[in-house]
Amino acid sequence: MAADSAILVGLVEEFVSGQQDSKAADTATGSLVVLLAFYENRLKDHYVITPHVLQGLKALTKCSVLPPGSAVSILKSLFQDVHVQSLMLAERSCVYNILIQLMESKESELKGLGADFVFGFVQSVDGERDPRNLLLAFQIARKIIRGGYDLGKFTEELFEVTSCYFPIDFSPPPNDPHGITQEELILALRAVLTGTPCFAEFLLPLIIEKLDSDIQSAKLDSLQTLSACASVYEHKELAEFLPGLWASLRREVFQTASEKVESAGLAALTALTACLSRSVLSSDSEDSLNVFLDLVLKDCKHHLCEPDLKLVWPSAKLLQACSSASYRASHKVTAAVMPSLIEQYNSRTQVSSNDSVLLDFSQSLCSIVFSALSESNAGLQITSMHVLTALGQQTGLLVESDVKLAVDHLTRIVLEEEDVTVSTAVVESAGTLARLHPAAFISNMVPQLKGSIFSGGMVTVEPALHQRCVTALAAVSSHPSVVQETTPVLIQVLTSAHTGRSLPLTVEIPQVDRLLLELEELSCTCDHPLSYTSAAKCYAGLVNKWHVGDSIPVSQLFSLLSDPELGSLAADGFSLLMSDSTDILNRGCHADVRIMYRQRFFTENSSKLVQGFNTRKSCYLKALSHILTNLPRQVQITELPALLPLLLEALSCPDQGVQQSTLSCLQPVLLDPPSALITQLEALVGRMLSLITSPSMKVRIASLRCIHALARFPEHEIMPFRARVLRALATPLDDRKRMVRSEAVLARNEWFLLGSPGGR
Amino acid sequence: MAGGTRLENANPLIFQRSGERLHTANDEDEDVLDPIDDREIFDILHVQSINDPEHPLSLEELNVVEQMRVRVNDQQNTVGVEFTPTIPHCSMATLIGLSIKVKLLRSLPERFKIDVRITPGTHASEDAVNKQLADKERVAAALENSQLLEVVNQCLTSNARTV
Repeated sequence: MAADSAILVGLVEEFVSGQQDSKAADTATGSLVVLLAFYENRLKDHYVITPHVLQGLKALTKCSVLPPGSAVSILKSLFQDVHVQSLMLAERSCVYNILIQLMESKESELKGLGADFVFGFVQSVDGERDPRNLLLAFQIARKIIRGGYDLGKFTEELFEVTSCYFPIDFSPPPNDPHGITQEELILALRAVLTGTPCFAEFLLPLIIEKLDSDIQSAKLDSLQTLSACASVYEHKELAEFLPGLWASLRREVFQTASEKVESAGLAALTALTACLSRSVLSSDSEDSLNVFLDLVLKDCKHHLCEPDLKLVWPSAKLLQACSSASYRASHKVTAAVMPSLIEQYNSRTQVSSNDSVLLDFSQSLCSIVFSALSESNAGLQITSMHVLTALGQQTGLLVESDVKLAVDHLTRIVLEEEDVTVSTAVVESAGTLARLHPAAFISNMVPQLKGSIFSGGMVTVEPALHQRCVTALAAVSSHPSVVQETTPVLIQVLTSAHTGRSLPLTVEIPQVDRLLLELEELSCTCDHPLSYTSAAKCYAGLVNKWHVGDSIPVSQLFSLLSDPELGSLAADGFSLLMSDSTDILNRGCHADVRIMYRQRFFTENSSKLVQGFNTRKSCYLKALSHILTNLPRQVQITELPALLPLLLEALSCPDQGVQQSTLSCLQPVLLDPPSALITQLEALVGRMLSLITSPSMKVRIASLRCIHALARFPEHEIMPFRARVLRALATPLDDRKRMVRSEAVLARNEWFLLGSPGGR
Repeated sequence: MAGGTRLENANPLIFQRSGERLHTANDEDEDVLDPIDDREIFDILHVQSINDPEHPLSLEELNVVEQMRVRVNDQQNTVGVEFTPTIPHCSMATLIGLSIKVKLLRSLPERFKIDVRITPGTHASEDAVNKQLADKERVAAALENSQLLEVVNQCLTSNARTV
């Protein structure tokens, strides 16, 4: 009989495959219907033949030209007349294969069956034990769920018939020819259980229950299943179970016995948080993410502040897991946790596990911050910059590579982000961090910004970008070493801006009044000498271009000479006027330099100088010596006779600056002395000799040089002074400063040779 | 007689003539005391000398400069100079030694005891010469001699830096 059945089946299969031939299509349908009816009816017969019938049906279902409606009738007969679980293994497989086949080829028809199909399936599978068949059953179940079949009121039944196997506990027999592993079963089942949100209300309690189990594999499976379903579910499915889930997860991490379980737990937590973060809120629904995180924070936060209890680490890990789920979560967690952590970090000086908590936390925080900075959301960027700044301010928290990465991010934001609030934040952040980590900024940010500013010439650079770069450069100049790098750039910017639009006198500088006011304030109130000097110079530059006549400021300067406080400074001002200053008042800066200005200045003003002399000598003398020093030599010589008494007076003036400038003024003249000087020799020698003991090194040197120069005077004039000079010059030979001594040696030797055989 | 012994300096410093002594920040600082050191004495003896063909007797020409060893002790007020005359003629050695001595006398504070001698083993009459150089009265007397003084001055003139 068995052999016959095999033949029969073989015949049927042949028949079926024969039906593929389209020529026989017309006749086929009819024959098929007959065959099907025959088989279906045989199902009602004695159970002995059922297996064969099933084989035949299986073969029939493979036919691609099954008439419509036949799938439904087959299934109806099956479900009605066959009790699947009382069949043998092979027959049960057969049934499942039939189902699979029909689902594949006649999906729409099956769906027409509605929930009855599901019910029929549930009844067929209920109690199945064989792993191979289970795999088939899970496959069908998954198809039902994913395929969009209507579960109707049998959702729970479907869930129960599959979840009873959870968690899978299967040990394959030795020498198992089929090679089915526990892992395969677990995964197949998991796909079913987590396949639809409809199961959530059943699955989640099940998970919580199974998490209580002592068996590690059960815990692991539960946690992994939880992670899997969280990626499918929405917050509304999770909402009521959150407290229970949290309690279990917390327990698993706090009291963990196994690393695997702990990491699975953390992964599950992350998945949960991510799911909650995905939720779209309506105006009246509560924010489940917030609620959940509040729960987590309530339990974990205070542990972080007790560094000696062993709960610090698990708490930190839980918080990390939450914050790595999404930006919203990390936002909330960091905002809650960082302040107290940082405060703790600051207050504890000894190396303890607390440090590493923050450090560890900061590592994951860094990665979150960096990815947040890459996002285009402005609010996110701003917050992450605040976090970054806070981290950067804690010494030792950020490693060098992190700092460099941070700087790169900030640079990119400066260059690319146009949002005003973001620009302000990045400038602030950069400024604070530059003070603490100057090296990274110097090597990374400054060159890039500089390149951006000067690329392609000034005209083509977009003004907003230019503005941002310059502002950023100014902001990071909060550390001396950075200033050294940025100042040249900024000055270059200013000068090129200046030359770009300057024409002396005729150009209207926009808002010049306001500019003047600000410069004035800066010059007067700023502490930093370079800043206020530069501001003053700018101010002066602007003012000078304004005035057409040049006589007004000078007379003011003269009047200032008599002022007790400012007189000396005013006198130095003359030096500025007369000498060649490199950054102002020269032709390069569009100063209107007329020829022979120095001489004219001198001629116009010397009478004033001489007049005012009696009232306030030292300043006048200073001014005078400044002016004289810068005169061309010819003028010096011509004017000298008139001023000689003044100069001599200057030599006795107590002010060292005056002495020095007079001496240096005199020395070149002494080399080729005009007769006027020779008449004053006694006075000169006397004064100079007294100066070689001056407290100021420079004055001593200058006077020694003058005395050396005096040796050039006609011999008969100076010989009377020789002995005196030689005696006086013995003292500076032992001067405390070498530079003075060497001048004394030169001078004294020169005087020795005077009038001596073999000398000059 | 003068109590001077050989220079203790076994490894003398031979200064390069190239380049002037560089100024350091301390040199310009009013409050820092610069002690007198060997280099300073060396510089006194030949500061930027010029080859002057009119004065063939300059210390450069005599090639004495390179061979000088200088040792000064500012605290103990002693200066020792050893020179190696390349010309074996007795009178030249004396002249050179005298020039050095005179230069130092004119250039150093009075407190210093100046000892000028010939490098041991480089001249046949070194003892005699050293004795003369160490004798103060003899030196003073020599300088009264205008001819001698002239020659000495000539030696030293070409040593002087032009202003």
